[in-house]
Amino acid sequence: MKTAESTTLEPVPVRDENVLRLPLGLLGFERFKRYALLSRPEEAPFLWLQVIDQPNLAFVVVSPTAVAANYEPEISDEDVRFLELRTPEDAMVFNIVTLHGSHHATVNLKGPVLVNRRTLVGKQIVPLNAAALSVCQPISVTA
Amino acid sequence: MLVLTRKLGESIVIDGRITVKIVRVDGETVKVGIEAPADVPIHREEIYLEIQQSNHAALTHGRPAVPRLAHKSELCPPAKLRLVTVSPVELTSK
Repeated sequence: MKTAESTTLEPVPVRDENVLRLPLGLLGFERFKRYALLSRPEEAPFLWLQVIDQPNLAFVVVSPTAVAANYEPEISDEDVRFLELRTPEDAMVFNIVTLHGSHHATVNLKGPVLVNRRTLVGKQIVPLNAAALSVCQPISVTA
Repeated sequence: MLVLTRKLGESIVIDGRITVKIVRVDGETVKVGIEAPADVPIHREEIYLEIQQSNHAALTHGRPAVPRLAHKSELCPPAKLRLVTVSPVELTSK
């Protein structure tokens, strides 16, 4: 729920190893370039990307393997070069989740966020096979 | 909006660092080749807008309750990616 009462995030110690740098921001949020990757065990497999420059703003993200079978985004060589990926295993993949109340959530498979696990530099990319990927695929959740 | 007429094979230079070239014309479809520095994101407009709207809808203020997955697997294997080599970037627009 997006209410004024829920706008305070717990103060979380932001450590260097949790800070992801997205030099191009997220699509529509180009000005936010630094994110803290936060997790709470009870919320797994969901994680949070918290906007460091505006800590009351955050995105829920999830590893695609937890929610989408047979997901295989095709990464262009421009993105491979931008992220300095040597192998697919160099990349952490996060997909942004939209919460629709407590009983319904969707995941964006069309615009995954890839992060080089060595450099912690990331980018929200558009895979070459984006036309076949949903921007709001339902996730099976319980309250 | 600035409107320029170009012939097949001709280009437009933007800001001295971005080149947009008409690569192919086939009926209503125009194939455009774009050369730009890596820090210049290039997107098909409709896909950009779709993801932008999704990001806006996903933004949370504070930390609302996260639902539980109905089928939670204990082990998440690493995501599969396919690294594809294609160059230069070509966007086909109708």
